[in-house]
Amino acid sequence: MNTTDKFDLPQGTLDLLILRVVALGSIHGYAIAQRIQQMSREALQVQQGSLYPALHRLEYKKFLSANWKASETGREAKFYELTAAGRAHLKAETENWSRLTDVVGLILKGTLEGI
Amino acid sequence: MSWLRRVFARKRLEMDLDKELRFHFETQVAEKVKTGVAESEARRLTRMEFGGMEQVKEDCRESRGTLWLEYLVQDIRFGLRQLVKSPGFTSIALLSLALGIGANTAIFTLVNAILLRPLPVENPNELVLFGDGGAQGLTFSVPEGRWQLFSDSFLRDFRHQATSYSGIAAVNSTQSVIKASIAGSAYQTAHVDLVSGSYFSVLGVPAFLGRTLVESDDSAPGAGPVAVASYGWFESHLNGDKSALGKTIRIQAQDYTLVGVARPGFSGVTVGQSADLWIPFCMNKEISPGLPKPDSKFFQSLHLIGRLKPDVKPGQASAETNLLFKQIMRDYLGPNPSQKHLDDIAHASIELTLGSRGISPLRLLFSLPLKILMTIVGLVLVIACANIANMLLARGVARTREIAVRMALGASRGRIVFQLLAESALLSAAGAVAGIALAWKASTLLLRMATPGLNPVPLNLAPDLPVLAFTLGLSVLTALLFGCLPALRATGLEFTPALKDGRGSSSVSARGNLARSLIVGQIALSVLLLVTAGLFVRSLIHLTSIETGFDKRNVLLFYLDSSTAGLPHHSPDEIRSVRLQEQIESRVQAIPGVQSDSFAFFTFNTGAWSDLVLFQGVPRTPENGQEVYFNNVGNGFFSTMGIPLVAGRAFSAQDNQNSPKVAVINESMARRFFPNGLAVGHRFGVGETPDHPGEIEVIGVVKDAKYTALDEGSLFAAYFPCAQNVGFYGNFAVRYAPGANRQEILSRVRSSIAETNPNILVDGVSSLDEQVDQSIAAQSLIARLTSFFGVIAVFLACIGIYGLLSYSVARRTCELGIRLALGAQSRMLLWLVLRESLVLLAIGLAIGVPISLGSTRVLKSLLYDLSPLDPMAISTAIVAVVVMTMAAAWLPARRATRINPIQALRAE
Repeated sequence: MNTTDKFDLPQGTLDLLILRVVALGSIHGYAIAQRIQQMSREALQVQQGSLYPALHRLEYKKFLSANWKASETGREAKFYELTAAGRAHLKAETENWSRLTDVVGLILKGTLEGI
Repeated sequence: MSWLRRVFARKRLEMDLDKELRFHFETQVAEKVKTGVAESEARRLTRMEFGGMEQVKEDCRESRGTLWLEYLVQDIRFGLRQLVKSPGFTSIALLSLALGIGANTAIFTLVNAILLRPLPVENPNELVLFGDGGAQGLTFSVPEGRWQLFSDSFLRDFRHQATSYSGIAAVNSTQSVIKASIAGSAYQTAHVDLVSGSYFSVLGVPAFLGRTLVESDDSAPGAGPVAVASYGWFESHLNGDKSALGKTIRIQAQDYTLVGVARPGFSGVTVGQSADLWIPFCMNKEISPGLPKPDSKFFQSLHLIGRLKPDVKPGQASAETNLLFKQIMRDYLGPNPSQKHLDDIAHASIELTLGSRGISPLRLLFSLPLKILMTIVGLVLVIACANIANMLLARGVARTREIAVRMALGASRGRIVFQLLAESALLSAAGAVAGIALAWKASTLLLRMATPGLNPVPLNLAPDLPVLAFTLGLSVLTALLFGCLPALRATGLEFTPALKDGRGSSSVSARGNLARSLIVGQIALSVLLLVTAGLFVRSLIHLTSIETGFDKRNVLLFYLDSSTAGLPHHSPDEIRSVRLQEQIESRVQAIPGVQSDSFAFFTFNTGAWSDLVLFQGVPRTPENGQEVYFNNVGNGFFSTMGIPLVAGRAFSAQDNQNSPKVAVINESMARRFFPNGLAVGHRFGVGETPDHPGEIEVIGVVKDAKYTALDEGSLFAAYFPCAQNVGFYGNFAVRYAPGANRQEILSRVRSSIAETNPNILVDGVSSLDEQVDQSIAAQSLIARLTSFFGVIAVFLACIGIYGLLSYSVARRTCELGIRLALGAQSRMLLWLVLRESLVLLAIGLAIGVPISLGSTRVLKSLLYDLSPLDPMAISTAIVAVVVMTMAAAWLPARRATRINPIQALRAE
């Protein structure tokens, strides 16, 4: 695995990524990690040490709900789903994120008027 | 609540967490195996990637947000185990906490009930009381100074004109304790409040059943023979039977219709005096037929409570009230008032006070004593906390190694402090529970002791919300107070030396100055508490050694009720009351063992009646212008009370309705009016300007005797014979021979009364010495309580010193052993150990004595004939503290001298 392309996620972004992935449908922890890795084209690798505390935190905040179902391999796994609150939170945070990246991008590219 | 569920479903959560992570692990391994890695290698790689399954789990638990609660449960369990492991420490700590918190709760219960609790009425904050409610009774005087009592006609005239109030309620300042018969059943005692028709509507108290009183019930004298019952009386005397409405209640010779029951919880506006029945004030003449001039505009016996209109400021109301008061009073004086009366009214005023907590003579009486007691029990609790803190410090030192090990294994300091605090919280919570149980009983007992008498003061002392909140706050505060410093101290250690050190021993400084300053503080506070106790005890001794002027031994007192006897009032026939008294007197006189007996208006501390007098030929001067206290007595009064006659004669059968009016006066009065001669034979009239000048002739002079209280100054007193001041006077005193059978005399007096007239009921029996004791019950209770708490304080301080020195001797066993081996004398060792406590004692005294000297001034008004700087009380307190602390220090010091050097050296 090529490790040079990897970087640390800014604080709080992991929660956003998890919510985004879970928004696609009911999914268990391992698959969430895989999906983030795939979608980021292997640039992001989520450590179990941060994934599971984040999942439990989101569950505690009632953004996620969970239940036990049989996985594709037939073993029982804990599947997470987005709650209504989670969906609203994701929407708000996504908007925040794109506004933030736009503004930061503007400044960093130096095209802001007056510079 | 889901977080609560999580704590209880902890096992399932743990299993789920384990299962979830295991699934991830296994799936990852399976993926690796699929790409061709050997299974054992795949497991090794995955485990490395996971990096510590337990750490991940702990992070998950933390992110669940309930970890603190799980910790708390753990900590409480651990704390309980720790406390059970050291029963000695636990029981001393619990005992001192239960006592400390219990005493505080008990006193606060009284403070709450007497000083703080608002009336259960609508918007109590809008209510204002006219005056401070300190005066009770009936006065015909023209108002002067701060006025407290008002007449019914003043209420009507004032209400008519005043604009500041949405309504004004009135209640008779004295409650009528009277016999009532419901629908012809047996007579029972009832407490009747005479109130204005506006009473219930102004207070906003609705009826539970039927209706309350309305204006039309109180429209004209005698026009409202109706009664409203309190809910409590309705339950106890009418069994809560709703059909009781409309029943007849007979009081004196009048029938009243029960028209309603007031809302549960409301029992009147006077704290410590609940009403059973409310009757319109217009029935005053029927309820108290013996009172003179009931229709006078100056028949002033009411307390007034006004409800301010929402937009009216108290200042505005006060201005309007005083203006109207003076105008109305001026009108009452008629067309030709005397200049003195005009001056009096000009200087009279009504002070509006907070009405939200009702009228409370108890409050005026006990406000300062309760505040002082509250401070004292607060200080006792602080001392108890210091003690527990000291014991915890010692335990902290003993547990140094345990704590060092736990911290070395990765426990955070916060976590350990929290755990140690949980232990403290457990202690104080247990102390609080025990304290509340103790306080519940204690506060009732204290109230009973402070206000002895035939009937207990009705005050609800069950722990209510404010009391429980107070105790909860107190226990949290105490836990922090005694738990915080030791916990911080125990965890603020340096690892390496702590771990290197042997089990159970540690460096000297670990306890050091903190423990010493706690003990110094304890000693200083003990001195303060003992000085206070000493002052109250000395003041009580002064009070009890006051010469009463009468002989309080061997006198029985009977309180008689004549309201069911149908005696005539305001008619020539009224003399029948006196005949009845004389019959009882002569019957009782015949009982073997009875020396003398007499009826009286008042005995001692049972009330007062006073007015000015004017002697013929003696001009009024400031020296003789003070009020004279009157009493109506039977012919045997002076011999029954043991008041010696110094000149002239006492009353006899020749002083009757038809003979000239006579009086016996006391020495103070005789000496002040006739400094150079005999008083006997002179004549006076009653009143400022007597209606019948000189109608009463002085026939005798008696020694001064106390009238209302032991600590009253020398009063002028005049006694009149009952036969010339007709009425039935309920106090009956019987003197029996020393050594006579008191019980037998008591029952024979009862039967003599019943034989004479079965409708004269005995309300209660007491004795003159009991009555004297009861008059200083509050003072003696304060003296006893402060002494009790003072002794507890010193005792706790001694435990502290004993513990500190025992510990220090145990720690220095080796050093002391070496000293002994090298030839030190045991006297030197004794000194070595004692020196430490002497220094603490000296500093404690140096702080405590000046504090005491500076703060006892607040007690001044409660001390009888004693300076708050009484050297006797202060030196006794100092000696007591010195002796007690030295005794506490002596025991461990002795132990130091008995160390066997060989054993001490081997032990290390």
